[in-house]
Amino acid sequence: MKEDRGGKWSSDLVLDLYSDLLMEIWEIVSALIGEAILGLLFALAIQKLGEKYSFLISLKVSEEGICLDGVRDDCRNMAPIEIHRGFQSLITHLFQLFSALAEGVISRELFPKVFPRVREAERIISQK
Amino acid sequence: MSFEIKEIVESAGTNLPNLFDFSSFGVLWKEGSLLYLYEEESCPLSFTQEVVKNMTGVLAILGQEPIHADGVTLQVVKKKLRPKQMMMDPKAALKSHLTLPLAAEGEIFGCISLNSDQPNAFDAQDLQFFSVIGYQMAATLKHFQRFSSVKTLAIYDTLTNLYNRRYFEERLGSETQKSFYGGTSLSLVMVDIDHFKEVNDTFGHTEGDKVLHEIAALLKASVRKKDTVARYGGEEFILILPEAGLEESSMIADRIRRLVEQTAFQVGQAQINLTVSLGISNFPSHRATSKEELVKMADQALYEAKRGGRNRVCIFDFTSR
Repeated sequence: MKEDRGGKWSSDLVLDLYSDLLMEIWEIVSALIGEAILGLLFALAIQKLGEKYSFLISLKVSEEGICLDGVRDDCRNMAPIEIHRGFQSLITHLFQLFSALAEGVISRELFPKVFPRVREAERIISQK
Repeated sequence: MSFEIKEIVESAGTNLPNLFDFSSFGVLWKEGSLLYLYEEESCPLSFTQEVVKNMTGVLAILGQEPIHADGVTLQVVKKKLRPKQMMMDPKAALKSHLTLPLAAEGEIFGCISLNSDQPNAFDAQDLQFFSVIGYQMAATLKHFQRFSSVKTLAIYDTLTNLYNRRYFEERLGSETQKSFYGGTSLSLVMVDIDHFKEVNDTFGHTEGDKVLHEIAALLKASVRKKDTVARYGGEEFILILPEAGLEESSMIADRIRRLVEQTAFQVGQAQINLTVSLGISNFPSHRATSKEELVKMADQALYEAKRGGRNRVCIFDFTSR
């Protein structure tokens, strides 16, 4: 476990958690709508939230998948809660896009797998 | 381009009922705000309106410039997609849909949508199928879009938006064939702007180009739907008037002459008046035996108009042959 001396969870741990989560979203949704469209949706969501959470701009999305390497560098000195908020907004926005396109079809597939992980992230963040 | 979209939508619409249960299938094409709908015969207007609203809404959510639902040009094909006992309720509402962006090379150029009056009409497998169809359609439409822009470049004069000389030659070939073999009348009108060199020399080529553009618009506005207006070169234009005898072509030519004469052209800060000279040739009156000869005759008539003092219409003088 990556825990600093103050007992707070490190940025790396939050990043690992969201990295896994985003990979999972990518895997499930790309199987439904394809990598190209999903890539576009990610790009739209990042563009929308990039102003508020600038580290999200370093999230690289292509038809091959998601790469968080740039984000890790940007988040080095950020509070884990800020990273968590940024990713949480990203996921919420993606869910909004998914439901605009296909109402509940994508969410129905995604929700059982993703929602517990989001809750888990929230639980970890709120812990000391 | 719109023709190709229509073809693709109709072809998809014919095959989609084998894969999905739906009330309507739509393709919204961003450029020109065109929406092609393939829908169940009993689909009420209110349902169609909801679909339009939903599709334009989705396109806006996808970060595209919003298209107003009222500004959408609708093309609807009604087909019997359901047995009579399952006809749609006249008050049917849009209960579920699958809408996907039409995208290629990172650019969204519209969206496609499957719509139903039934709740939860589509599942994950439907979405998978529909996204594959969306990819295929996007690739095909992108291909047509490229082809269409190449075609545009090949047949239009970029300065005046009139047909170019190459297209004129092609068109004249088919029109003369029709006339020579069918015995129908065909007229050519050659138009030249009088003293145009002075406009360029006094006001510069940019202003001169604007004048060419304006006169081109006047020409287009003066002819019939079946006529072809082309830029022949420089300040010279040519009109193909199918099924027009000498009387009708003279009328059109004089209309153009008067219209140009009465128009004040804005050139830089100044307003100037211009005139045009026009020459007419006609089949069968002038007994041309080839398209080249018909052009030569119109050119000869134009020369006579210039020689006669300009700002006039001259008909080829058959006796001068």
